Amino acid sequence: MSILTKGDLTRRALGGLAAAAAVAAPGVASAQARTTLRWWSPQTAPAQREAYNFQIRTFEEANPGVRVVFEATSDEGYPAQMAAAFASGQVPSVVTHLPSFAVSNYWQAGLLEPFNDVIDMIGPQNFYDGANRVYEITPGQYAGTGIGNSAANAMWLRRDLMERAGISATPRTWDQLRDACRRMQGGGVFGVPLPYGRNSMTSLVFICFVHGAGGQIFTPDLQVAVNSDAFRNSLEFYKSMREFAPPGATSYSWGESLTAFVSGATATGIYTGRVLANVAAQNPRIAPFITAHEYPTVSASVPHWTFNDFPSVMIPKVAPNMPMAKRFAAHLFRADGYIRQLHAAPGHVLPVLKTISAMPEYQANPIIQANRAAVDLMSTMAASGHNLGWESPRHRPNTKAGQVIASHAISEAVQRFVINNEPIAQVVSTTAQRLETLMRA
Amino acid sequence: MKRSILGGIAFNLLAWTVVFIVAFPLVWMVITSVKPQFELFRIPPTFWPEQITFEHYTRLLFETPFLTYMRNSLVLSSATTVLVVGVATLGAHSLVRFRYRGREVLAQLVLFTYLLPSVVLLLPLYLMMVWLGVANSLFSLVIAYTSFALPYALWLLRSFMQGIPEDLESAALVDGATRMEAFFDVILPQALPGIISTCLFTFILSWNEYLYALVLVNTDAARPLTTGVMSMLVSAFNIEWSLLMAASVMMSIPLIIIFAFLQKFLTRGFGAGGVKG
Amino acid sequence: MAAQHGTAAGRGNPLDRKDALLGVMLIAPTVLIFCAVIVYPLVSALYLSLFRIYTPTLQGNFVGFANYAELAGSPEFWRSLLNTAVWTVLTLTLQIVFGIAAALMLNQAMLFRSLARSLILFPYFVSTVVAVLVWRWLFNDLYGILNHAAMWAGILDMPLDWLGSMPNSMISIVLVGAWKYFPFVVIAVLARLQTIPEPLYEAARIDGAGAWSRFTDVTLPQLREVLVVVVLLRAIWDFKEFDLIYLLTGGGPVIATQTLPLMVYKEAFGLNEMGRASAVAVVMMLVMLVFMLLYLRVNRAQDQR
Repeated sequence: MSILTKGDLTRRALGGLAAAAAVAAPGVASAQARTTLRWWSPQTAPAQREAYNFQIRTFEEANPGVRVVFEATSDEGYPAQMAAAFASGQVPSVVTHLPSFAVSNYWQAGLLEPFNDVIDMIGPQNFYDGANRVYEITPGQYAGTGIGNSAANAMWLRRDLMERAGISATPRTWDQLRDACRRMQGGGVFGVPLPYGRNSMTSLVFICFVHGAGGQIFTPDLQVAVNSDAFRNSLEFYKSMREFAPPGATSYSWGESLTAFVSGATATGIYTGRVLANVAAQNPRIAPFITAHEYPTVSASVPHWTFNDFPSVMIPKVAPNMPMAKRFAAHLFRADGYIRQLHAAPGHVLPVLKTISAMPEYQANPIIQANRAAVDLMSTMAASGHNLGWESPRHRPNTKAGQVIASHAISEAVQRFVINNEPIAQVVSTTAQRLETLMRA
Repeated sequence: MKRSILGGIAFNLLAWTVVFIVAFPLVWMVITSVKPQFELFRIPPTFWPEQITFEHYTRLLFETPFLTYMRNSLVLSSATTVLVVGVATLGAHSLVRFRYRGREVLAQLVLFTYLLPSVVLLLPLYLMMVWLGVANSLFSLVIAYTSFALPYALWLLRSFMQGIPEDLESAALVDGATRMEAFFDVILPQALPGIISTCLFTFILSWNEYLYALVLVNTDAARPLTTGVMSMLVSAFNIEWSLLMAASVMMSIPLIIIFAFLQKFLTRGFGAGGVKG
Repeated sequence: MAAQHGTAAGRGNPLDRKDALLGVMLIAPTVLIFCAVIVYPLVSALYLSLFRIYTPTLQGNFVGFANYAELAGSPEFWRSLLNTAVWTVLTLTLQIVFGIAAALMLNQAMLFRSLARSLILFPYFVSTVVAVLVWRWLFNDLYGILNHAAMWAGILDMPLDWLGSMPNSMISIVLVGAWKYFPFVVIAVLARLQTIPEPLYEAARIDGAGAWSRFTDVTLPQLREVLVVVVLLRAIWDFKEFDLIYLLTGGGPVIATQTLPLMVYKEAFGLNEMGRASAVAVVMMLVMLVFMLLYLRVNRAQDQR
């Protein structure tokens, strides 16, 4: 028995539903027309999208009957979206730009297709040496490959401010950094934009400092290693730098830290090559004075440690049209399209293929040209960079790195010590416990 | 209510100061959206732009899928509003004016949908959409949004209808109308402000919903504004502030227009012989 | 209520039953939608909370009540629960107070009243994510206008850290929450204010009542029904609020502003522990359920008085 007098309301409602269904229908129907590949990425700024469209066009021209659909995800949304995709079996064909520890996590759960075929298609000799080590989680098999490199903890300096403070040498050790900041701070300018917030940037940056002290978070066997002098020293140093960071640093994340340096409010910066593009657009006045360097370590005998999150390319195991998907993944590295992709974020995403770095077409970008030294340095830094998922060439891959960061165990350690002034022994032991529980789980 | 001129001026000043304070972020958004990029992060910050540029708006409108997203949001929110308010009005009338067993319990049960945070409902809901074959479509969003807008609308309309005196309907019935005729001719006009404001809430709820859209829909053809703008302009390492401000202004304008238009319905007095003391 | 239809069937039982049937049919679509779309996810959440689940695959093993036991012994959980209660009570109170005040104000004659009403509602119109990003900018210590205006006016001489230290963080999220959602109260109350008959106020004035007692004796009782529902709905929504707090403070400093919804998200997608996340969500549900039942019972008692 239907509802009686269907008045205007109900009729309009049905009409509305029909309209919505009509809009929705094409999306569902066309999927069966020909081979369709779905490409997911969280890096979707307008400039990058243009590059992607070019790559899609060239691939479709070379492979008639194939359609590639780009679908944007986001840094915030991809965990939920990937989970939904895996759970329902409706996975995309290719996923790019997820951090390497997401890839290793999925690999460990058996969700990814080995990438060896694709690497062979690209040409393994074209990569920077060891560029793919971080993805060799199961010996002999690659979970994915990097689509770009980032040197995320490059130190940026304002040469004009250094000159004014009478500093000529680039700081190499922590003490020199501290001294430089002390002398440059003043007149509304702060020394560093270091983050002290409860977020992933704080965790990731602090891990760089731990390595800068000669320490590590985990041993090569993945035992918890925070109960060490190096860890304690880095906590103390990080706390001592608090006075050179702006008051709001206790909630700084990537965006605020970047803008602090770009806007001229801090004398040094800690960031990727994104600084170059942002300075050009937002504060060109300081562009001639900025230089990039490796971040100082506790002493000249401790080597530099660069944080590279190795934005990745990966293919889910149950992706449809697997051979075509692999061909597309390899296509992403073809020079014409790849260079366009890199130019969309010049200096920020650096090539993983040394052949590309050498190409004049790659170098013919105004920002890259104006900052050749910085870009070359960052490319080299990033190529030998590491992250929590792979802390050194001797380390086993840590497939729980993503969870360690997401638990905020490390950023909370920083906050407890620096903001709450808890005793260092307590902070270290609590952190060690939390990490051990996480790793055991 | 008569007031002295001075009192009137003082009241207007106070009222508009409050409005300005509340709407200040909107003012800031509009001003920032017409500033060129190099004026964004001046220290100390400038309020008025030194140069005015509309490049961010043109870039957004012509170089990005922004208009597609807006069309999707409009279709999605309208469909959800019509469906939800239609069903909820009938349901509220039923809860208020009819007697049957389990009436109160039903009303409370419907609120159950709210008691779980959306994060936990997401994945099962997505799996259901896949099973139904509507995953990744606007239709799945209409279903999802209806699920959490409906209880809201039902309870709001119920409280509005409770404020309508029974005598009105009785009078109509005495005159020989059927229950449904009485509903359309007497109750609906009385409840109009309530229905309008419920429409407004539902529309806004759908317009601004983010998490469900994030997980349930991934294709540009069906993506609404919230997730479209966010994934395009906000990433972990960088935020395209100028474009974001321009997008936010454009996202808020339709709502402000709709509200300005609906205002007269919200405040319309009602009919002759309507409400008795 | 004497319902009368044109047939000779007369009043009494058959007609009441027919009416009741109509009533049930009117509520049927609501119930249908509710069952179809909500029951499965709800039951699913309850079910998953008894397992240890790896989110990307939704596979795992049965652990019974172990998740709940872990929560009961976790200081982080209890602190999050406390934070959620504090946040909800504070922001809800402000939303109601500001909402009623603004509605009263907008009910008066004023210059460009329609424009004023649209602008006051702006916080509710704008998407939470965008609003919070703008607020972060306004709160910023270096280039945020709030600090600069306060320093220029002499209230502060150093920029304040609005989001990264306590009690500022809790105060900031409460204030932004109040700003964001008080227009909901304004809309509902304003709609109701329009229907309060003028004669009631006249009568009160004739009796010599001043503005405040007109408010408490005429306005408030008339608003009661709407307010009861508004408080209930807003309390539930505020309790579940995620985007605002997550983007504004991320739960920091340390866990000083971490609420239960943030904890659920962290467990589900940060730590990939869907089972534990479901357990927290079920506890949230129970808390809200208890509140809801008590609230409705108290109101029914008041109704009958």
